[in-house]
Amino acid sequence: MREGLLAALKRLALMRGLSSERLKGEKQLRLRTLTFELPYKQDNQVTQDKKITKTQELVYKLKVKDVMTTDIVTVSPGNTMNELKEILRIRRIAGTPVVENKRLVGVIGIDDLIRCLSEGEMDATVGEKMTRKVEVLYGDEPLAHAVNKFNQYGFGRFPVIERKRGRLIGILTKSDMVTGLLKRLEIAYHTEEFRHNNNNENHVFNNIVMDKTSFHFQYRVNGQDFKVAGESIYKLKQILSQLGFPPPIIRRATIAAYEAEMNIIIYSYGGCISVSADYDHITLEARDTGPGIANIEQAMRQGFSTAPTWVQELGFGAGMGLPNIRKCADTMDIESEVGKGTHIKIVIKNTNGNGK
Amino acid sequence: MTLSEAKEILDATVFVGHEKLEMEVKTAFSADLMSDVLAFAKENSLLLTGLTNPQVVRTADMLDIAAIILVRGKTPPDETVQLARELNIPLLSTKYILFETSGRLHARGIVGCIEKVGVDEGA
Amino acid sequence: MNLEFIVGELKLDVRCGEDKLGRKVRGGYVGDLLSDVIGNSSEGDIWVTRQAHQNIVAVASLKDHTGIILVNGSEPDSDTLEKAIKEEIPIMVSELPGFEVVGKIYKLMHT
Repeated sequence: MREGLLAALKRLALMRGLSSERLKGEKQLRLRTLTFELPYKQDNQVTQDKKITKTQELVYKLKVKDVMTTDIVTVSPGNTMNELKEILRIRRIAGTPVVENKRLVGVIGIDDLIRCLSEGEMDATVGEKMTRKVEVLYGDEPLAHAVNKFNQYGFGRFPVIERKRGRLIGILTKSDMVTGLLKRLEIAYHTEEFRHNNNNENHVFNNIVMDKTSFHFQYRVNGQDFKVAGESIYKLKQILSQLGFPPPIIRRATIAAYEAEMNIIIYSYGGCISVSADYDHITLEARDTGPGIANIEQAMRQGFSTAPTWVQELGFGAGMGLPNIRKCADTMDIESEVGKGTHIKIVIKNTNGNGK
Repeated sequence: MTLSEAKEILDATVFVGHEKLEMEVKTAFSADLMSDVLAFAKENSLLLTGLTNPQVVRTADMLDIAAIILVRGKTPPDETVQLARELNIPLLSTKYILFETSGRLHARGIVGCIEKVGVDEGA
Repeated sequence: MNLEFIVGELKLDVRCGEDKLGRKVRGGYVGDLLSDVIGNSSEGDIWVTRQAHQNIVAVASLKDHTGIILVNGSEPDSDTLEKAIKEEIPIMVSELPGFEVVGKIYKLMHT
């Protein structure tokens, strides 16, 4: 069920034109957040939005305190990390607010715990290790604010504070929000509302030139855009298959293209993949503009990764991308300049006879 | 065994591919990391995973995976179901955890789609 | 069933924690996403994963796993080993894919 809830939340975010994966570069994020806030601040503008759905209405009507969890566990700054570990384990929770005299003084979670575990600092106090600067929500804020804040900060939960006296009254997680919304929507949250993202067919065939013996295929890849990942490669697969390449060769080419595309999406601002094929080989090039790779040798090592956790939770960024590409290729060249971008070129020989 | 037998063993729900349940499957690969699937999984295998995003279907399609079985009672998001339908890849979901899912299938004769990593890597 | 039995039956290579192999295995969990493992695995589980970075030790310690089996030929980093020794978490490795390792352990548990 959890996945369903998260998916629903993402949809919710998408409906408002927000990035579902909070993966935009900061500038883009801010921009998108702004477009999100506008309708709320100027209520009359809401009606000008193309479609107002039931969910959209609800995120404005419902308040944080309506859906938050009130049965919460807290710790005090004097608790040790060892005690915290026990509390998290017994209560099966991932983090907790730190409270002193009923006032919220910080938060502490499994990330802090893992850090202390790996550094052998389990006797340290929660007060020393907690995060003091805490982003909070007020109980009387509309859920729309909360959705916004979850996307902006990427946290899993926010403490909820009573506005007048500043006392901790609950915790809000994403699933609290979605559960709260779903309860009120009762059914079919997935019907009409998810039709907005159908405008991406056009990027698939930017440029294809094909004659009887060879073809060239090129498409753009936008940084951070997970939604359309792999679409163009599906086309590539069909074309290679039509050209008569044997399935194992097609698999190698598509896997390499997919990993290259994922790298561009995860790590760069955007780039381009081009594939050309003739009788005896397929050449694939991936170019991007972005931070580049500081240490190529390290990046080629299986298991080395600089990908953030959210990418890993999508099943990528586990340090397999470049090694996988190399495995698929007969030759591979990689050039990268820090601060500029990366260029990868691979060749796959068609050993199983010719392509036609 | 047939996909339909796998469905029974796992008490699974079929989201896509009712018409393909009679297909024969012999091998499986389990992973939560799509890059591992891309590196090691083989055509015509079952893919067992806890991930539900559409990239699971993309990955399965690229490797000519026979069917996807989601574990831990995951309900796939609509876009995943749609894509599986579009690419004609059976998509099932079982309440069992990946450990139990793998164990049950293995006990009924399904084997890993590769014997050892490093062996038979030629795509 | 203890760890030593599994190590013997599956011919696993032990990378650390040889002296902890007497521990009783109560169940198994397989997964590569730390949040999933933290959320859903149980105390006494043997954890099967292909992740090899040092956070796996912290997770295994937090969840009181009996030990970790790395699959797909994955090898622990030196940091991981160091932490595992300190936290007394046995780490074993196998060249088999997760499906096979799990299938075999499952069989041992159910016969």
